[in-house]
Amino acid sequence: MTALGPAERAVLLAFADDEHLMGQRHTEWIGVAPFLEEDLAFASIGQDELGHAAMLYELVIADLSGETPRAEAVDALAFRREPADYRSCWLVEAACTEWASALVRHWLYDTAEALRWGELAGSSDEHLRAIAGRAMSEERYHLRHADALLDALAGDADAGARIAAALTEMLPLGVALFDEPLGSDGAVESVVGRPLAALAPEWRAAVDRRFGQREWATVEPVVQDGRTLRSAPFETVYADMREVIMLDPDATW
Amino acid sequence: MNVYEVFLKKQGKDEFRHVGSLEAANDELAIVLARENYVRRAEGELMWVVDRDHVLVGDEEFIAPNADKPHRHNDGSLVAERRRAGRAGSDESDESGAM
Repeated sequence: MTALGPAERAVLLAFADDEHLMGQRHTEWIGVAPFLEEDLAFASIGQDELGHAAMLYELVIADLSGETPRAEAVDALAFRREPADYRSCWLVEAACTEWASALVRHWLYDTAEALRWGELAGSSDEHLRAIAGRAMSEERYHLRHADALLDALAGDADAGARIAAALTEMLPLGVALFDEPLGSDGAVESVVGRPLAALAPEWRAAVDRRFGQREWATVEPVVQDGRTLRSAPFETVYADMREVIMLDPDATW
Repeated sequence: MNVYEVFLKKQGKDEFRHVGSLEAANDELAIVLARENYVRRAEGELMWVVDRDHVLVGDEEFIAPNADKPHRHNDGSLVAERRRAGRAGSDESDESGAM
C-alpha cells in the first residue's frame, strides 16, 4: 500500500466529510419524502454515502496508525471533532428543506462525486482503488435515480420553476465543492490523481447539459476558506448527528 | 402515477415470483424505485417490472368452471392400481403355464 502523506490525507478527509454530511442530510428525508417509494430510495442513497464516508475515514486512520482500523477511531473522526476541524463543503451542509433543493443538490453532488471516484479509481493506492470501484458501482445508480426524477418533472411548469429556483440557490455552493481543503497542496499525483479541483470544468459542462447553459461568470462561489469555515446550517446537523453519542461520550459501543 | 408489479428471480431453477407493487411516474422511475424498494438485500438477481395496465386479466367467471374437475387431478393412484392389477394377472398366467 502506498503511504498517504498529509496532503493526500487532507484531500481524502475532506471527501469523507462531504460523504458523511451528504448521507446525514439525505437521511433527514426518511418519512417525509414526496411519496413512499422515493422515501426508501432516497434514504438508501444516503446510506450508501455514509458507507463511502466510513470507508474513507478508515483509510485515513489506517494510514495514520498503520494498524487495523478501529471503529472507535472512525467514530472519533466522524463525530468527535470540533466544527472548525471538519472539512465538508457548504453544499452538503445546507439544510435543503424543500424537495426541489434536495433533489437538485442530490444531482449536483452525485455528479461531482462520480467524477471524483472516477479519478480515484486510477490511484496507485490499491485500497483507494478498491473503495473507488465499489463506490462507482453505487454512483451509477444514484445518478440514474436523480436523472430519472428530473426527467419525470421536466414537463411540468410548476416543477420546472421550482427546480430552476433551487438551481440558482445551490450553484454558488456547488462550484465551491471544488475548493481544495487546507493542507492539500502537493498531493501526490499518483495517489489521488489530478487535484480534484481540476474536475470543475467537467462538472460545469455536465450541469450545462442537464439544466441548459449557465452564466458561470455570474455564479459567485461561497467563501469556505480552505473548507475551514462552517456554514450556518452546520450547527444543527452537527448537533443532530452527535445527539446519541453525546448522551454518554465515554460509553463503550 | 402508474402502478407497476415487481417480479424477482433468484439464480437456479426458481421461477420469477411476484414480490409486490409500486407507484411511479414512468417506466424508468419504476425500474429505479423497484431496485431500492424490493431488491435492497439481494432478494433476487433478475427483475421484471410490469405496468399493471399491461397485465391481461381473465374473468373469474371464465375461469371458475375449471375449479370443479377432480378427474384432472392426477395423483397417479388409478394408474398404480391398474399396474398392480396387471402384475397380479400375469403372475396367475405364469402359474397356470407351469401346471
